[in-house]
Amino acid sequence: MATANTFLGSASGRLLEASIPFRFFASAVFFHVLAWLALAWAAPAIVDFVGGLGWTLAGVHLLTLGVLVMTALGASLQLLPVATRQPVMSRRWPYELLWSLYVLGVLGVVVGMALWLPAALWLGALSVTLALLLYLWLLGSNLRGAKGMPLVVVHGWAATLSLLMLLASALSLAGLYSGIILIERSTAIGLHVTFAAYGFMGLLVMGFSYILVPMFALAENPAPAWSNSSLGLALLAIAVALLVLMGLVPPILFRVAIVAAAASFLIHVTLMELALRSGMRRHLGSSFVLVRLGWACLTASFALALALEMETGVRHAAVLFGILLIGGLVTLLLGVLSRIVPFLAAMHAGAGMRRPPTPSNMTAQRPQDIHLYCHSAALTLLLAGVFLDNVWLLRGGTLAGSAGAVAYAVSFLHTWRRMTQMLAKKVLSVPSKSA
Amino acid sequence: MNFSRQTSLALHQDHRANLQLLARSEQAFVRASRTAPGADPEFLKLIAALAQHLQQDVDRHFGFEERELFSRLREAGDGGIAMLLGDEHEAIRAVAEELLPLSRSAVAGTLDAAGWETLKACVMELVERQVSHIQKEEMALLPMLDDLLDDETDRRLAFDYAASY
Repeated sequence: MATANTFLGSASGRLLEASIPFRFFASAVFFHVLAWLALAWAAPAIVDFVGGLGWTLAGVHLLTLGVLVMTALGASLQLLPVATRQPVMSRRWPYELLWSLYVLGVLGVVVGMALWLPAALWLGALSVTLALLLYLWLLGSNLRGAKGMPLVVVHGWAATLSLLMLLASALSLAGLYSGIILIERSTAIGLHVTFAAYGFMGLLVMGFSYILVPMFALAENPAPAWSNSSLGLALLAIAVALLVLMGLVPPILFRVAIVAAAASFLIHVTLMELALRSGMRRHLGSSFVLVRLGWACLTASFALALALEMETGVRHAAVLFGILLIGGLVTLLLGVLSRIVPFLAAMHAGAGMRRPPTPSNMTAQRPQDIHLYCHSAALTLLLAGVFLDNVWLLRGGTLAGSAGAVAYAVSFLHTWRRMTQMLAKKVLSVPSKSA
Repeated sequence: MNFSRQTSLALHQDHRANLQLLARSEQAFVRASRTAPGADPEFLKLIAALAQHLQQDVDRHFGFEERELFSRLREAGDGGIAMLLGDEHEAIRAVAEELLPLSRSAVAGTLDAAGWETLKACVMELVERQVSHIQKEEMALLPMLDDLLDDETDRRLAFDYAASY
């Protein structure tokens, strides 16, 4: 209960300037469109993808770096100070530098991957690394002074350590194409997938879900005993996976890591479902259909991971695993983003107004619905296309994804335009000192 | 929800009644005939009930919280939540100022088509604001009363609130 009190009571006083989180969200929306277009171009090669430079890898990184991490940066920079009762930094330059370095880096990485340009890839990776080290400094400063929400804070620290592992493995993989070898390739890939998807993004998403899901559903916070159990299992899974990948314990223990991670995630999803079902706001619209779809994909990704590890012979298991894992995270984050953006826009636009706009006022529902249908169709067609080895299904899936991404962008622009119009009106209505 | 204070319980019961009425109103406005919404006497009765409840909520419920509870929250160092809830009261009052005259015209049969559209928009806005506001009070304000009020103050406030009907 104290969590809700803390969060609600301090939210309005700890807002970053609107342009800061929104530039990250706008970039994520832009890269989302580019990602689907890149994947549409790469559609015939998706089934046989086993790594290596090209459009498929570029499309994947437009989703992971461009959408997932970009959204996580914007959301955490805004939400963490509220959750931990920390003042937001008044200076703009760290945020602007972070965003500039990161956007340039992502562009360098994906151009280098798509067009086989190792130098661009390496420079892009360096720029992304610098940006994320700056982010780690901002995140660490915030977590060090945290005054509340210990569950979120521990998730944050674990995500921070995972991000360091992610950066080391990413630099190693990017450097391979320029003759720079830091970690052996297969170890680096294992570390990269584990610490990027489950370690950094997974822990960050789970931590923030404990704030956001009960807040949007207007529900009680989950029982601490269960949320702590979920966190404990997640940390165990990450630690065991690290020991296996570093060759310090037998490889068969990787199965223990997968089972522990799956158990952790299932407890988390059950807690979130209970919050959604007991909440006073039951109809959360298309955004929470996306969230649930994301949870389903991520749950299935653990089953595929175990099937891969046990070499059960599922057709194209690695590619299916990749679609479920990245697709699940993207789906979940887009669902949450479609809630956060109108909510933040309403808070910014309504500051100081007697009757501020509601989040519904800022939402364009039709494009969001179109995105939901297109995105669900895209995921289904991609999974079917890979399983059946059918290029036309893959083309259809990536085109449906592209259409959905455009609809999502329309919805985002609607909210952005409404917010800026209302802010401009307020500026115009303030009488000048000389008047 | 289990509240140990009589004041919390009284406010909680008000919230439950309010939520039921808001849910019924939202459904009725979504289903209402576009061409002749004022032709259904049951619908008009519901509008009258909503207007009466809203007026009472703004005067009695909000007034009580602002007078007796928010000041105690501020003294206990929870001024942030008191300010947020107070701002939401003001926003709901602003909606009520637009909604109440329209609902009176609707019940009197003098509301034109544009007026009905505005009334519907106001009701939807009221529902969104009130549901969100009530839950914040249920999650943050009412549980805090357990610590904020002693037995004697709780009895006195619960009595005052009951007497204000």
